[in-house]
This record gives sequence, structure tokens and C-alpha cells, in this order.
Amino acid sequence: MIRSTVLLIVGLFLWIPPAFAWIENPYWVTGKGKLLAVPRIEQRVPAEPRIMEYPGMLPGQYGGSLRLLMASNRDARQIYYNGYARLMVYDQQLNIVPDILKSMEVQNGMQQFTLTLRKGHRWSDGHPFTAEDFRYWWEDMAHNPIIYPGSLPPEMKVNGQAPTFEILSPYKIRYTWPAPNPSFLPALASGLPLRIYRPAHYLKQFHAKYVAEEELQSLAEKHRQRDWRSLHFSRDRGKRYDNRDEPVLQPWKVITPQNTNRMVFERNPYFHRVDKNGFQLPYIDRIVVAVADRKLIPAKAAAGEADLQARYLGLNNYTFLKQKEDLHHFDVHLWKSGTCAQFALYPNLNTRNDTWRKILRDVRFRRALSLAVNRREINQVIYYGLGLETNNTVLPESPLYKPEYGTKWAQYDPNEANLLLDQMGLKRGDDDWRVLPNGETLDLIVEHSSSGLETDDILFLLRDQLAQIGIRLHDKTMQEDALRQRVTAGSTVISLSNGCNVGRATAAMPPNMLAPTEQVQLQWPQWGLYYESGKRSGEAPDMPDVERLMQSYNAWQSATNSSEKTIIWQSMLSTHADQVYTIGLISRVPQPILVNRRLRNVPYAGIYAWDPGAYFGIYNPDTFWFAQEDRGDLHGYNLSSGGDEL
Amino acid sequence: MTRYIIKRTGSMLLTLLVVSALVFIVIQLPPGDYLSTYIAELESQGEKVSLAQVAYLKEQFGLDRSGIEQYFLWLWGMLRGDFGYSFEYRLPVADVVGDAMMMTLVLNLVTIAFIYLVAFPIGYISAVKQYSVWDYILSFIGFLGLATPNFLFALILLYLGNVWFGTSIGGLTDPQYADQPWTFAKIMSFLGHIWAPVIVIGTAGTASMIRRLRANLLDELDKPYVTTARAKGLPMHRLRIKYPLRMALNPFVADIGNLLPQIVSGSVIVSAVMSLPTTGPILLRALQTQDTYLAGSFLMFLAVLTVVGMFLSDMALAVLDPRIRLGQSRKAEGGK
Repeated sequence: MIRSTVLLIVGLFLWIPPAFAWIENPYWVTGKGKLLAVPRIEQRVPAEPRIMEYPGMLPGQYGGSLRLLMASNRDARQIYYNGYARLMVYDQQLNIVPDILKSMEVQNGMQQFTLTLRKGHRWSDGHPFTAEDFRYWWEDMAHNPIIYPGSLPPEMKVNGQAPTFEILSPYKIRYTWPAPNPSFLPALASGLPLRIYRPAHYLKQFHAKYVAEEELQSLAEKHRQRDWRSLHFSRDRGKRYDNRDEPVLQPWKVITPQNTNRMVFERNPYFHRVDKNGFQLPYIDRIVVAVADRKLIPAKAAAGEADLQARYLGLNNYTFLKQKEDLHHFDVHLWKSGTCAQFALYPNLNTRNDTWRKILRDVRFRRALSLAVNRREINQVIYYGLGLETNNTVLPESPLYKPEYGTKWAQYDPNEANLLLDQMGLKRGDDDWRVLPNGETLDLIVEHSSSGLETDDILFLLRDQLAQIGIRLHDKTMQEDALRQRVTAGSTVISLSNGCNVGRATAAMPPNMLAPTEQVQLQWPQWGLYYESGKRSGEAPDMPDVERLMQSYNAWQSATNSSEKTIIWQSMLSTHADQVYTIGLISRVPQPILVNRRLRNVPYAGIYAWDPGAYFGIYNPDTFWFAQEDRGDLHGYNLSSGGDEL
Repeated sequence: MTRYIIKRTGSMLLTLLVVSALVFIVIQLPPGDYLSTYIAELESQGEKVSLAQVAYLKEQFGLDRSGIEQYFLWLWGMLRGDFGYSFEYRLPVADVVGDAMMMTLVLNLVTIAFIYLVAFPIGYISAVKQYSVWDYILSFIGFLGLATPNFLFALILLYLGNVWFGTSIGGLTDPQYADQPWTFAKIMSFLGHIWAPVIVIGTAGTASMIRRLRANLLDELDKPYVTTARAKGLPMHRLRIKYPLRMALNPFVADIGNLLPQIVSGSVIVSAVMSLPTTGPILLRALQTQDTYLAGSFLMFLAVLTVVGMFLSDMALAVLDPRIRLGQSRKAEGGK
């Protein structure tokens, strides 16, 4: 407050309104303090910038390098996810608001979307960002059978129909669908968004429409690519985020070559966000990513080699990290996790094993499994009681949450579970294990791809818990892709994996995780494939409740208002709670977040979630900054956002 | 001798051909291919991959061809010096391995030097002072090195290095020197890091070396020529170094064959644990993701080194030790 008053006075004295008194960043000043490596700040900031302000935001200073640890150079994409500059973004209250766009008009009941760009907005190389960049993606990429051999991304289609695309002016674009497209805005605001624009001026040099084929062929060979298609593919790295030549609109862009073990990202001189004091964001000049083996990352983080780290840290590292806090001047916070469940069991309703398919499709068996899981024991033994003992469903932070979604058929009750199994006719044999109808002992083989203490501990507890209802549990570990193949092929009976990752879902988000829409859904891969492939492969769902889920999903697609969508979500969630298609074991296990004590604006308590969230993205890492001194107490933390302390 | 060399060369080529087929088959054995791994990884990060994209990538990577076709294309390429294309890095294999190879050579050469420097004196002392306190203490240390799991030892040294000397954990230099030219500061940082992996990998190798040298030396020390020389008044120390020690060296020469591939690929696990920028982690990752040509060409390279190393050590032994040379030719004649 004092600072802004002072600035205001200074501003008045100079006869310049404070909002336009841009403050140049010393980072761009070279030589004797006169020359700039880039044009002056007045020419870099768009004429209509986005002024960042949120409750609890502390205005900051330029400077500093943010050190992160990653497990591979493929993690460059993490900077894209966390940078989180999107056409539309979720704010901290989960509203979808314009970011790169100046405004978005939604007309005709979600059929027509008019996008307005910011005047004077430029790519990181200084080239103007205009409607041409949208046209390039639409005409030269999405509709080019060589670059996009399939068709438009699913979010761009409604009932298989594409929109019409119009350029109204260099700063105005319009998409019109024949029917409502409620998936469009959430898709634009995702951590991994639907990208409907590209740096046209850069990519044209690799496109056969603009350059002669022979010339491209020799260029492709120079880049060690087979043809111009793979050349274009290899240069268009917007989400891989490792091509230093490609212009971007994100807060930081990579400046190191591909396949290096130390990646450096530099501030985007033309970034479109500013703070109210006239600083161009991001505050932090550089992000430096060191690549190390993922098992070493907790140790390296504890040795003070990171300024902000959540990825590759788990709750089992918490005490170890906490111990080093004062030595290396960082704090470790516990954020809430945004996944529906840390771990969940997925009975494979498409298994090829006839005996097992019959059993798994019997809701009594699935309910019995869920009732037999002692979630309290798992929570107390492994997670210090910090987890939430519910099923695999939306979390209390979601506006759609109702307690019964998480608790129905999920209260520990082995007697009831035994009763259900007895009713199914699964009798106990001489050795007290239950027996399958074909006379074999009921051996439940849980297949999973995670290796580590956490999974081992969970399975150990689960083995004892299921023994009480006469089910003998075994486990089998394998590579992730082998697991997926076995599940899809129907060889796997039941698998253990992470719960759904949209625990904070809102009604505006498509409920695709609740209906068989993707092959990767471990409980019904064949039905998901059926939808995904447009009925060309896979199998049609043949369970009435699942068919109803599919109908609800389609109904959501054409629902136009929020209350309609909420009703659909809630009916789907309650079907899931009742039918127990997946069995969540423990939810909301806290995520340790390591934060350098000099770093400001990182929330003390937040939610670490992928979608909506983009991990740190929703908390605007471009507004994080380094102060001169360590924070003394909680001053300097953005306490008002992201929920209460654990 | 010339006939012998020709025969050996012929069998070497045959061996390599068989190895290439085996390598290719083994890499393809696990279900799926690189693409399925890649897609699983993307999807576990929340990315969607459309069926059309999958088909496109399949074609681009040549995974739509039959396995046999892929094998022969790879084999034909290798004969022309083209080791194929790494799916993961989207680069020719030679480019991927090239950078890491230098670091690997340096690391493993230093390690081998370390093994020799440690094993020689210890082996010598424990043979000469057989059953003395020194024999027991030094042998104990050697066995300790052999028995401690490498990865555990690596972690302990990383921890101590960080706590005592403040070196950054893992890697062969501090992170800020990665991909930087070799300056004095970088070399100092390199020296500050390299000792840990060298000790870890080295201790595992010293024990066997110590025992071999000790056993050989003990055999020689009781031979009549030693007694004779001693009777003639040669000083004990000079005598031992000049005659029995030399005779005990044969197994070291025979070891060159194993040494060559070790220089290039040794220490895969330790490198992965300590996240060293060497070829080890690249090979490990390539095998995990079924990056067929990267893993295959790498393993072939190792096979070539092993075969050539064996050949060289046989030659060297034949030159060094007439008994082997004569034995070979006598056996060859006897076989006819």
C-alpha cells in the first residue's frame, strides 16, 4: 500500500499516470546501461496488457533465477504447463477468464465463440500475434491431410461436425458450431490446452505450401528428418517446449538446445501480463532446470539445490526435507493433492476371463471389495492420518462434491462384505479362502506399474484386509505400457493405479472420466476404445448402467446452462458411488512443496492439481519473485488463496 | 600364426552375426514397442493421443514393417556405418551416444587405473605376508568392497560428499557446468565429483583382482627358481618384483578382453543411481522404452568390443607366453 502510494506520488510528479510508467528490467540492459538487447518496454508490452492482481498478491521486483529439478529433458514441458499462459485460464476461484485473449464472447447458447486479441501483443521474437496465427493452424495444419492425417481434435467437433472459422479483423476471430460446444472453453484453459494457433511466421518456412518441396527436402535432411512433414513436426514444439527457435507466448522460453542436461528458460520480453506498479511480468528472469535421476531429486532438493519443487517429491520425503529447512533456507509446505484418489483398484469389466468377467460385473462383488478396504488403517499407517478416507471421486474442493459420493459403499464393514459375497454364492473352501464357481481358489491378482515403498505398503495392508473376506490377493508389477496393453487385451483382471486427476472438477468441465470415452480407462478399456475410435474398434457397452452414463455424457455435450450440467454431473457421480466401478483406497494425500524462503507469492496452502490447476500454473508463477531476505514468519505468503492449512 | 588369425577373424564375424540377431530378438521380446511406451508416458501425463496420430507415428518410425524386415534394414545400415535412428531422441544413434561416450571413457579409464593402483599393492602384500594381520585386514577391506551393494555405497558417498564437502548430489560436475566448455572451474568441479563413482565402481572390482594376484603370486613364490635366486643372494624385495610378480601377470593380460567393453558400458547401474552423464543411463533408458535401434546398436558395439578385446588378449598372451603359443599350434596340428 505504502509502495503504491509512493509510486503514485512519483508518477504524479512526472506527469505520467502510474499505470503507464513502465519500469525497465535491468536484465535487458547491456553494456554501459544504455543499450537494450530488445526494444524499450513501452514497445514490448501490448497496448492492452493483462494487469495481474489477485487477493494477497505482493507486488515484486525483477530478478533472480528459479532453480528446479527434473528427471529428464522431456520435462521441459513442465515449464509450459506451469507457465500457464493460455487463451483462457482458470483463476483461483476456478472461473474461466481471458488471458492471452483480451475477451471472449460466447453467443447463441455456446454455438458461437468470438475471440478478441490484445492490440500490440507480440510473440517472444517481437513478431505481432494476430488472426493470421489462428488461420495458419486452421487452414494449413488442421485441414492439411499431410500434417493432420486424422482429423480435428475431438474438442473442436460437436457430433462429428467442425465449426466454421471466420476472421473478422486482424484481432478478431470467430468459430461457429451447428450445435453447442461446451467443451471448447475448458479445453482452451487446460494445462495441456487445445492449441488453435501457431507462430505462423516461424512455421511457414517448414511448410510445403510456402516453400518449394525440393528446398524443404534438403532442409529436412539438414535437420536429420525424413521429409517436410516430420520436419514441421520436429519444429512445432509448442507443448514439448524444447525448441529455442520457436517463438512462444509463455512467461519463459527455452534458450538451451534440445537434449541437454541443464535447461535454461529466459523471460519472454513481450509477455502480455504486467503488475499494477508498471513491472512487466514475469518478475523472475530465468528458470534453470537441472536434470537428475528421479530417485536423487528428494536428496538434491534437501541439499538446497531447488527453489521451488513439488514434482518427484512425495509425502514419504516430508520429514527428511523438513529436517533441512533451516540449513538451506527453504520451507516445506503440504498442499492438498488434486487427484480424486492416490490409488484406486480398477476391476476390468472387459476381461477375457469368463469366470472373472461375470464376477466383476456383479455389483455385489465390487461393493464387497470396497467395503472390505479399511481406509482408516491405510491412512494412519502410511499417511500419518493426513489423507482423506473416501472413494475415487471428486474432492470436497469441487463445487460438485457431496459427501455420499465418497462414503457410499466405502465405510469399512467386512461383515457386510462377507454377506454380499456369500449371497453371490462364492463359498469358502476348506482352507477358509473363497472358491470360484469353477472350483479354483479365489486368487485376485492385482497388476500395477508403480514400484516403490508406497505401493508395497498399500498392497501389504490390502492383502490382510481382503483376507478377512476370504479373498487371496497377489500382486504383479510391470512396465506402464505392458500393463495398459494387458488391460486392453483383457488379460488383466484387476489393476491398481492412480485415481482420476480432476478431483476439483467443475460442472463446466466435460465429465469424460465418468463415462467410457477413452481406451486408457482401466475399468472398461474396450468400451472406451469403442467411443474413441468412432465405433470402428472396441466393443459397445453392454451394461445398462454404463449405457446410461454414456447417455448422460452425450446430454452434457448439448447442455447449455450450468444448472443442467451440474445435474448431469451429479447423476453420473452418484451412479459411480452406487455402482463402485473403481475402488479408491485413499484420497487427498498431501503433496510436499519446497519453497525457497526468499520466494514470495507462493501460497502457503494450495492445491496441487493438474486440471484445473496446471500444477503451480493457477497460482501465477509469473508473479513469484525473490525478495532480498528470508521471510521471517508467514508474512509474504499468499494466505488467502487455496484453502486452509492442513 | 596367420592361419590362426584368419580362422579367429572368421569366427568373430559369425559370432557377431549371431549376437546381432539375438540382441534384436531380445529387445523385441517384451510386449509392445517404443510407440506403446511413448503413448503410455504421454497419457500418464494427461495428454491425449488420437488413433490417427498413432498410425502416423508408427509409419514414421517404420514400426509398421515386419520384425524381420526391420532387422535386415538395421543390419544393412550398420554395415554401411549407419546405426539407425533413436525414436526417443529423434536423432541418429551416433549423435545420441557421441557426447556421453567421452565422459564414459574418462570415468572408466580412471576407475580401471584406480583398481590397478589399489589391487596391485594389496595383492602383493597379502601374498608376501600370507596369513599375517595385514593379509587379513587388507583382504577384509577388499571383500567389503565386493560385498557392499554398489548402489547403496553410491548413495552413502553422495550423502557424505554433500555433507562434508558441499558437492552437489549426483552428476560429474556441478549443474551449472553442464554443456559448458572445459574451463579450470569446470575441471575442478569434475575432480570434486569423479572420486565418488570411481571409488564405488572401483571397490567392486578390486577384490577379485586382489585374490587373483595373491593366488598366482603364492604359486610362484614357492617355486624352486625363487629359492635358487634367494640362495644366490638376490635381495628378497627385488627378486619378488622381478620374477614371480611378472609370472603372476598372465591373468591380467587375459583380462583385457573383458576390460574393453567394461570401459564403455561398465557401471550402468551406478551411473543411473548417481545420474552420471555417461552412456549407462542412456542404455538403461533405451532398453526400458524399447528404443530398438539405440539399444541394439549400443549392445552391438559392446559385442564388437568384447570380441575384439578377446582377440587382442589372446594375441598378447600368445606373444607374451610361449607356452600358450606352442600349445595352440600343437593342438591345431594334432587335430588334423
